Amino acid sequence: MTTITEFSVAIQRRFGRQRLRKFILGMIPFIVLIFVWHLNSIFVWLDPVEIPPIADVWGAIFWLQSDCPGVIAAIEGHGDCILTNHVSSSILRVILAMVVGVPLGIGFGILAGMNRVVSAYLEPIGVFMNSVSGIAWIPLAVVWFGVGWETTLFIMLNTIFWLLFFNTMMGVRAVPKVLIQGVQTLGGTRLDAILQVYLPGAMTSIITGLRMSMAFGWRALIAAEMIGGDSGLGFMIFVSSSEFKTEEVFLGIILISIIFLATDRWLLVPLEKWTIERWGLVWKPT
Amino acid sequence: MSTADSATIRRKSLKKTITDSRAIQLIILLIGVVILWSLISAIIERPDRYLPSPMTTLFSSVDLLKKGVLLSFYADTLNRLVIGSVIGIALGIPFGLLLGLNRNIADMFYPLMNFFQSVSGIAIFPIIVIWFGNSNTTVMIVILYTSFFPIAFNVLSGVRSVPMRYISAARTLGASRFQIIKDVLLPGAMPSVAIGSRLSIGFAWRAVIAGEMLAGQAGLGNMIFAGQELDNTAQILLGMMLIGLTWIMLDHFLLRPLESDTIERWGLVQR
Repeated sequence: MTTITEFSVAIQRRFGRQRLRKFILGMIPFIVLIFVWHLNSIFVWLDPVEIPPIADVWGAIFWLQSDCPGVIAAIEGHGDCILTNHVSSSILRVILAMVVGVPLGIGFGILAGMNRVVSAYLEPIGVFMNSVSGIAWIPLAVVWFGVGWETTLFIMLNTIFWLLFFNTMMGVRAVPKVLIQGVQTLGGTRLDAILQVYLPGAMTSIITGLRMSMAFGWRALIAAEMIGGDSGLGFMIFVSSSEFKTEEVFLGIILISIIFLATDRWLLVPLEKWTIERWGLVWKPT
Repeated sequence: MSTADSATIRRKSLKKTITDSRAIQLIILLIGVVILWSLISAIIERPDRYLPSPMTTLFSSVDLLKKGVLLSFYADTLNRLVIGSVIGIALGIPFGLLLGLNRNIADMFYPLMNFFQSVSGIAIFPIIVIWFGNSNTTVMIVILYTSFFPIAFNVLSGVRSVPMRYISAARTLGASRFQIIKDVLLPGAMPSVAIGSRLSIGFAWRAVIAGEMLAGQAGLGNMIFAGQELDNTAQILLGMMLIGLTWIMLDHFLLRPLESDTIERWGLVQR
């Protein structure tokens, strides 16, 4: 008995009482949900076509990877490693769109924000482009680029660019003029003003834009892969659904949300926290 | 001399109004965009397929109006948006309130809600299609699903942000549980309700377009999708412009005033 009490005290010390309580409470609905799901596969209240058994969803991973020769082949993108190929093509597209879109969005945003006349003209365009959501661009992108990775990349880039552009512009415009004049009085060049004042001043707004663009972009990417793509997780769940392979759809959806949650929690939220601590005023947890 | 002075002053002030007035800037911008658009469509090969000129796009709207489909598509889409987001908000507010009232319930359901929120409405679409087929129900469920979470999260944080001493004060004066909810918590959470509704409707708007496209239900989303399949690019462009303009109008004339009025009326601005 004492060992159990000691153990629980040690765990509570290690993780903190409140966090432990939150974690355990938070697990309850998940456990109940999985339990009900499992009961459904035993008593078959709903058809396996509608709700597949958990074992089938787990098995779908191995079924999709069954012809894959090995880990190295999966990394190289061997044609038979269906699941890893879809996952990696979605993630690669996100990375590619980020690598191209982030510098472009920030660059144009700073240029537009520096000049009030230019920004006054570009602001309505930004508002309009953000209103025509990424999804509405899909048909036009299919006409322009055909079905394939160009279309999905275009949709993702389009979503990222306008959100970042808009946020950067707003951030740069919020930088007080006095600070710029201060730098100029001390003999700073235009580049100094951009690098030392505008960029750090707008950084919090840029990071918020980055988080938003990831959230919207990921959704738009999934939709784009469904309608105008030929690979990726969105394509996989859409095709599986038309073939009534529900277990693959469930697997795909769970993967989509796990990938998104992981990037948001472990990459973007810490980044936001850190920048706001470093350059911003107050961090409000969202 | 003085007349010349006043003339220059007048000219300067005119120049200032031209460069400063937002309406005039917007008109200049619109003209510029239209000119650029027609130039590009005049230069490229096969403009009908890749980028029809503004005139062609406008004429396609006349064509659709004559057939009477444009208005019915528009009405369908708006109808779906209103019904879906109203039900979503009506479900989300009590749920958020319930979570905000009790710390244990909130801690219990928060991770679950977070997980389901990150599964976007578009991603669950394939499952809903298996359950309900390519029907109107499918689109409605997707809209409901997307509009539920932003409002629920916002109401939760709004209820949490009501200072504890207000609740204690009401309780000291003998208020019942129901009175506390009605007179303290709900008004206190009102600004968050307004912000959350705006977010919800924004997400619902995207979901309407995507749902109509994927499920093939009549509406603006399906109009642009059909435009792609029929090789009618003018129809796509028209649909996109309508989608963008409708959202701007909705946001600017309905949701934003609503939000700022609510914050002004009920906001506990104490920063």
